[in-house]
Amino acid sequence: MKVLIIEDEPELSQSIGTYLSAQGYVCDFAGSYNAGLEKVELFRYDCILLDMMLPGGSGMKLLDEIRSEQRNDGVIIISARDALDDKIQGLHSGADDYLTKPFHLPELAARVYSVIRRKQFANNNIIRINELRIDLPARSVQVHGQVVALTKKEFDLLLYFIGNRNRVISKSALAEHLSGDIADMLDDHDFVYAHIKNMKRKLIDAGYENYLKTVYGTGYKWEMPG
Amino acid sequence: MEQATNGKCLADMKRLLAKTTKPLVIWVLLSLLVSIPVYYYVVDTVWLSELDEHNEIIADKTVHSLNRMHLSAAELDSGVALWNRIQPGTNIEKLPAALPVSDSVYTLEQLRSYAPQQKPDRFRCLRKRVEIKGASYLITVSTNVEETRETIAAIALTTAFFFLLIVSGILLLTRRLSRRVWQPFHHTLDQLRAFHLGKETAIQFAPTDIAEFDELNRSVQELVSHSLSVYRAQKEFTENAAHELQTPLAVLKNKVDMLLQDKDLTQSQYAIAEDMNRALARSSRINRNLLLLARIENGQFSDMSVIHLNGMVYEQTAMLQDHLRSHQLELTCNMSAEGYIRASRHLMELLLNNLLVNALRYTPAGGSIVITLTGNSLDIANTGMHALESEGLFRRFSSQHADNSGNGLGLAIVKEIAHFHHRDVRYSYADGMHHFTLLL
Repeated sequence: MKVLIIEDEPELSQSIGTYLSAQGYVCDFAGSYNAGLEKVELFRYDCILLDMMLPGGSGMKLLDEIRSEQRNDGVIIISARDALDDKIQGLHSGADDYLTKPFHLPELAARVYSVIRRKQFANNNIIRINELRIDLPARSVQVHGQVVALTKKEFDLLLYFIGNRNRVISKSALAEHLSGDIADMLDDHDFVYAHIKNMKRKLIDAGYENYLKTVYGTGYKWEMPG
Repeated sequence: MEQATNGKCLADMKRLLAKTTKPLVIWVLLSLLVSIPVYYYVVDTVWLSELDEHNEIIADKTVHSLNRMHLSAAELDSGVALWNRIQPGTNIEKLPAALPVSDSVYTLEQLRSYAPQQKPDRFRCLRKRVEIKGASYLITVSTNVEETRETIAAIALTTAFFFLLIVSGILLLTRRLSRRVWQPFHHTLDQLRAFHLGKETAIQFAPTDIAEFDELNRSVQELVSHSLSVYRAQKEFTENAAHELQTPLAVLKNKVDMLLQDKDLTQSQYAIAEDMNRALARSSRINRNLLLLARIENGQFSDMSVIHLNGMVYEQTAMLQDHLRSHQLELTCNMSAEGYIRASRHLMELLLNNLLVNALRYTPAGGSIVITLTGNSLDIANTGMHALESEGLFRRFSSQHADNSGNGLGLAIVKEIAHFHHRDVRYSYADGMHHFTLLL
């Protein structure tokens, strides 16, 4: 899986690159509009992370270039601009997702994972990991062929962990994923426990091996080879 | 409210017209009043001098004719007597040679002898010493002249007629002209009313041949383009500030995420990293909220639509279910009426979310939150021990709680959003509950 990171802040692209590489992605970098355009024209990528403000041109223009060439690479906009109009414009121009800076790396990894899944297995987007079977378009989960009824939040959590296999995920990253700013505003991260506990119990009851480990007291890790 | 301003404007317009016509009418009145005695003086003087000339001619002609006639002294006397009797305007009488009588001109008023009339007639008279056939005679010629009061009355009547003519002309013309003349002004006003800085569309005025309005249009155009450029600069600053601050925050956040992946991380180091995560989340939220406030102040929201508040309350409270449960709070919704508001959906969601989160934050465990929606207000109440200082409650960074985990911007944003939509939000305290009320 190849990911192109078009971002002018080297510290940021380096962190993203390191994190995603450890997830098994091959990362390529571009620090400006022109460098980005060159890479996009020369190579194919499974997912392109695109900053909106680039030296030499706007990310939006680059997105138009990519889409005008009938390319089907997944594109996730990573922008410092939080304005609703920008999000709508970005998604209208053919971006697959929009992430506002600052973000947690596990959040990005989870989104990269689902964008690539969506792009590559458009009609047959089913994840099979050992005894687990996740039908993404139908949002249904089966273990050993038995349907596990997960709530929306539990389903999101499961995908989040699968997109971040073998990584340590902090409780604040999970809380932010589940309820955005609200959890933080309320200083209330405890509800994360409840959702994780329920998800875990439902999967184990269906006969799933417990891959989700608690680390350092409050963090989590989905331990699974491969 | 716009209607009221409109109406006031129109009333002012009428007063403006009155303001210009009233002094004009007064000036015309004064001028015409002054003109009456002046006209009288001029007419009377011209008339009298003309009559004096006329009297002189008659006297001279009479004397000349008498001198030419070959009459004896007796015939002359009887002739003069006859003359005096039949010629009413003149009188000739013999003068003793020694009596010195100087010529004189005078005006005389006398009643008519032949008719029972009360008003005296005015006469202009000439008395002159003449020589007829060597003898001295005194000849008096008198001509009827228009009486003073009659002259004045005639002039006053004429003047009054013209006064009415001029005034009605002025009123009619100004009224008709003002409608035409002010048209470009109203056009400009309509353009200004429709103008919205957030839409960033420049104003185009119709060309006018009136210098003042052209100048006004040009000044307004300058003002508008200046405002637009300031607005754009401000917006650019907003965007730049977002970029400049969000990027280092993003770097920090990602570095902490990387730190967590370190194989040699100890549990206490992990705890520190989590604390950093929280502080980072808070600072990026403050940064985002400050930018949001700037954007609201700049009016950079134009996704206006009619919002069904009942639905929005359900959506927003559904998102908070987890937190209500973990805080052990009871939520009651009294939505007896359908509430609608024309607003930006994004902003209204933020307003509602901020009020609800605020209520959640500060309600002690076991307390309750009550949402009441009526046709004209949305009230969010929560249990609280004592009333808050309403002074400065909605100001930025004016946290009244010892617990300082809020960012001090939530209520300021609520106020700004309400203000942006020309609404008011109020705080009150009753029966052990804090009430935040949005007036629809």
